[in-house]
Amino acid sequence: MNALRRLYGAGPLQLLALVASFALAAAGLSRLLDAGTATRNVALWLIGAVIAHDLVLFPLTALLDRIAGRAPRARGVPAVNYLRVPVLISGLLFLVWFPLILGLSQRRYETATRLSTDVYLPRWLAITGVLFAASALLYAVRLRRAG
Amino acid sequence: MLDPRRLPAPPGPFRREAWRSPLRGPWLTSVLGSVLLSGLTVIVLTGFASHVAYQPELGANNLGRTPGFLDFYVFGWPTRPSWLYAATQGLHVTVGIVTLPILLAKLWSVIPKLFEWPPVRSLAHGLERASLALLVGSALFEFATGILNVQLLYPWKFSFLSAHYYGAWIFVAALAFHLVVKLPVVARALRHRSLRDELRIDLAHTRPETEDDARAATGPTTEPSVTVPVAPAAATLSRRGLLVLVGSGSLALLLATAGQAVGGPLRRLALLAPHDRKTGSGPNGFQVNKSSTSAAIDPRSTGRSWRLELRAGARRRRLSRADLLALPQHTYDLPIACVEGWSTTQRWSGVRLRDLAALIGAGEGDAVLVESLQRGGSFRRATLGARQIADPRSLLALRVNGADLSLDHGFPARVIVPALPGVHCTKWVARMTFGAA
Repeated sequence: MNALRRLYGAGPLQLLALVASFALAAAGLSRLLDAGTATRNVALWLIGAVIAHDLVLFPLTALLDRIAGRAPRARGVPAVNYLRVPVLISGLLFLVWFPLILGLSQRRYETATRLSTDVYLPRWLAITGVLFAASALLYAVRLRRAG
Repeated sequence: MLDPRRLPAPPGPFRREAWRSPLRGPWLTSVLGSVLLSGLTVIVLTGFASHVAYQPELGANNLGRTPGFLDFYVFGWPTRPSWLYAATQGLHVTVGIVTLPILLAKLWSVIPKLFEWPPVRSLAHGLERASLALLVGSALFEFATGILNVQLLYPWKFSFLSAHYYGAWIFVAALAFHLVVKLPVVARALRHRSLRDELRIDLAHTRPETEDDARAATGPTTEPSVTVPVAPAAATLSRRGLLVLVGSGSLALLLATAGQAVGGPLRRLALLAPHDRKTGSGPNGFQVNKSSTSAAIDPRSTGRSWRLELRAGARRRRLSRADLLALPQHTYDLPIACVEGWSTTQRWSGVRLRDLAALIGAGEGDAVLVESLQRGGSFRRATLGARQIADPRSLLALRVNGADLSLDHGFPARVIVPALPGVHCTKWVARMTFGAA
């Protein structure tokens, strides 16, 4: 047992669970890479999803947060969270619904549903505007109380 | 000999002091992970329910896939309650979207591990990291393909249905291993610092999690977590604040989405969801997801010359729309529930499928292959099982809300079956072939 731990680096339960997990994942992966015979495209999407998150989305949000952190304090009240909340909520709505907001599937969507994608950009902008306005209002109230 | 594990970490994110957030640590990850797990459980169960609801074991429904051992069918899909698929699929899509912020927050809390140094400490550690790559890759793949699919954007070359289904198996396999390894850590971390106490701490009193906290969470045998900051910056947000922030992201997505699945006045609130509004006024003004244009239906083929062809064995019968209207008509309120997570309940009238089966002399337990006038597309035909045919509310609908069906809603005749996915409620029906599935 100790020999296993020394050579392998973990106990037998970890090893058994890992082998079972890899076996099932391999079965799924072989069917997935088979899906519609577009093997390279599937692999591209699997790896691309990780790169898009780890090396694009995460650094971008970290950078934005660093910029927000430099926002000036007025009367000792930091503005950072009054920026974080509206940016994050608006950003999340965009992250999920950007194909409709930007009309990326406009033709297919409009033919299939008889609806227009034109409404989504103004709606998202309006929601974003309301969020920032509400946040600014709350910040003003905080400043008044602090002042 | 030079031991690569002794090499100093390269600069940048590979050095632990680069990760300065005072909020990261096993306790925060455990809280986020627990909430995420409850969301994922709903998503996974309803996802597999949708696979069962498609009844791929019946005739035309497997879309040309050769069944392997992952294509299991444990039970036949029921027709009661009629809103079953509207509920399971509404949950699948809505909870999926609402869970995204929690997934992102969870990944944020552990991202220093992506750059941990040395990258591999032992064989076990290396294999666990490979498994984590599968877990994160498949999770992001599932969320991305699902979210794009409900907006009818398919920027890939694979079949969404197959890829999303087999991708789910990879995810489930990798998640199961992750839970075996991490559930004890989560339990210890949550015991070590109680949630209730932690939620009382405001910004002024927010302190980083310490190496001792990490050791208490990981237990005596494993290396403590590298997510605890070694050079923490001052807190600008409490842990409570972070959880509220993530929760408000989820709430915003819920408000902007859920109405398309719930319907009624809430639908108008679903400001960013694809099926948030009616297509027009009148009895046929409700939502559509495959119009006659997208199905390339020639209106001339639906005119007076249209006939429904019934087949069973060697028997054939052709019925005009007037013939069908002369048969006993029945009316039921039934939902159309789409795989894309929206639904709408309407009042449908038409001929019972079981009356049509009796008319052509179909056998007890027969299935029926329903074919559309639609020429191309995976869902121009679908097979319905004996259970679907037997339900008295299963109709070949001719009218909706007291008016003739519009061309977009399947004129001259469409199938409507309780609790069945919308794509299997074939529109512009041309032929129904009864027989063994």
